[in-house]
Amino acid sequence: MSNRRSRQSSSASRISDDQMIDLVSKLRQFLPEIHERRRSDKVSASKVLQETCNYIRKLHREVDNLSDRLSQLLDSVDEDSPEAVVIRSLLM
Amino acid sequence: MNTYNMVKQRFIKKWINTLHMLDSSIEHPLNVTERKNAIRLSSDLAIAAARSGSTVWSRALISRSGNKTTNKPMARRILKKARNRMKNRCRTLRRNGNFTAKVGVRKRTEFLKSLVPGGELIDDKDYLIRETLDYIVYLRAQVDVMRTVAAVDLVTGNVTNDRRNK
Repeated sequence: MSNRRSRQSSSASRISDDQMIDLVSKLRQFLPEIHERRRSDKVSASKVLQETCNYIRKLHREVDNLSDRLSQLLDSVDEDSPEAVVIRSLLM
Repeated sequence: MNTYNMVKQRFIKKWINTLHMLDSSIEHPLNVTERKNAIRLSSDLAIAAARSGSTVWSRALISRSGNKTTNKPMARRILKKARNRMKNRCRTLRRNGNFTAKVGVRKRTEFLKSLVPGGELIDDKDYLIRETLDYIVYLRAQVDVMRTVAAVDLVTGNVTNDRRNK
């Protein structure tokens, strides 16, 4: 089924080279790991998508870890302690 | 001022608000896990709120996160607005039609859609790419700010330079 669909609409629907180049140049700010192929117009869409997905997953994991760390840090803080004052002043 | 710094500033402001909002709606005292979830939730809501505007990801994130909050009038109001806008947005997006691609790209695109909030609702590939780039900027800001807060030395109030401590 997907073969039939792609034959019918392949010219209009593949991610174009221009779009891919644009996406890569924007992502390159965030993703130093994207290795530029020798000819930039042949950058693999699949590879770019893969790097993007990896990057987003990495960021999600970091947010999760940081939430962990922050909750542990706060756990060791008494309501009226000087540490609590510091945190409050940081957030204000 | 640098745009990225502005993003971080907006995030910080919203995070303070969402922390207060959650703080008044949950029962204290919290165990470590509950506190972690509250921090995570407030942080996610904050990047979505910081992204004022019409992105799918920010509204999907609010909508998704809302299921985890207890009933509170403010949260419900945010959710209602988000859900209504989402419904209208989805109708527009679905009209743009599907795109097909080679198997490798298709699979990875599906995976990307699962990572970006609301991505599964976006059929137009241009739109998906724009949403992804936008989302990544705010994700990075979220990580950078949380990392800085976590690096505060609780005794001196200084931010430790070596973030690998602890």
